[in-house]
Amino acid sequence: MSDDDKFFAWLDGELDGAEAADVAARVNSDPELAAIADRHRAMQARLKTAFDTVVAEPVPEPIRAAASVDRGNVVDLGVRRDRVRRTIPVLPQWATIAATLVLGLFVGAQIPGHGDSPVQVRSGALYAAAGLDRALDTQLASAPSAGPIRIGLTFRTSDGTVCRSFTGNAATGLACRDDDRWRVRGLFEAGEGQGGEYRMAAGMDPNLAALVGSTMAGEPMDAAQERAVRERGWR
Amino acid sequence: MNQLPSFEDELVALLPRLRRFAHSLSRSPADADDLTQATVERAIRSSGQWTPGTRLDSWLYRIMRNLWIDTARSRARKQAFEAPPEEAAGVGDRDGIEESLELARIMAAMQRLPDEQREVVSLILIEGFGYREAAELLDLPIGTVSSRLVRGRTALLVMVGER
Repeated sequence: MSDDDKFFAWLDGELDGAEAADVAARVNSDPELAAIADRHRAMQARLKTAFDTVVAEPVPEPIRAAASVDRGNVVDLGVRRDRVRRTIPVLPQWATIAATLVLGLFVGAQIPGHGDSPVQVRSGALYAAAGLDRALDTQLASAPSAGPIRIGLTFRTSDGTVCRSFTGNAATGLACRDDDRWRVRGLFEAGEGQGGEYRMAAGMDPNLAALVGSTMAGEPMDAAQERAVRERGWR
Repeated sequence: MNQLPSFEDELVALLPRLRRFAHSLSRSPADADDLTQATVERAIRSSGQWTPGTRLDSWLYRIMRNLWIDTARSRARKQAFEAPPEEAAGVGDRDGIEESLELARIMAAMQRLPDEQREVVSLILIEGFGYREAAELLDLPIGTVSSRLVRGRTALLVMVGER
């Protein structure tokens, strides 16, 4: 084992006894080596923190469905698989669009005088504000309103959070309940997704459809369920 | 009644970790979830080949790694004609803008590692396997694993800086 290999093996806790003590002594007496050890520890911590956000997320429904094949209905599983295969090609595109839009709004929201902005940033997250917040709080998908915001679907995620898709003049998106507010989980410029036939067939922006498909557990709520959950404050 | 957890229960419990491993190998979250789903489907079809009492996680990681190698090979043939992966493209449904951008940055840096270094970095530095466990999982001599790890982590340090 080279000195390099040994140093990193020590850093990873792979050495024991005399070998470990040997490298530890070398590191202790060499500030440069100690600094290298610190930099590598910091980088590993950064890697772990970044990828641990994936562990903290709910597992997407198609994957959970595939894993519980013996409990579910085989035909149903086929339908779900079909859905995820169809939406995957648009994912990288909507991810980019969402990031661009969200960042644009983030910057916009910092500018004073944007009191009527439909979104606001709090502690690094995006929340519905003003008219959008009111529409999400009060409107029912089953009872369309005359206002500028239309509500599409209301549904729950796998952890029980209530989410609602919405469409305004310029954008369409998804917001989910976070305590007593609506956190915006995705926002897409109207007409920015795939065009034409797909859009007409799906009846929903494909970018938003992909996001809803990966977030929703089970079926969308019907009118009665939606009304009941509104009465419980969207819990 | 004391029963061992079923194959499916253990599989479901391991899904978040499998997704993490898939994200560290793949170039986009969509590819990662595709890979996770393919792994789960293969594991269910091959569940008879798993020996109860042995580590299910290693067995699943091995399936995922082999599927990833297969798709990486076929993708490499196509990739000359495709746009490079997006960098720092956040993902809309992750909590927190900064978190999702950070994940995108780290995924992009991992993508720039050669496959054989990326899998070693991923298993040892992110998934927490020991050198010997990783070597067994990859069917490689332990010396090869440790030298690939040194090269991979050194390159990553240069790429992501030390913020």
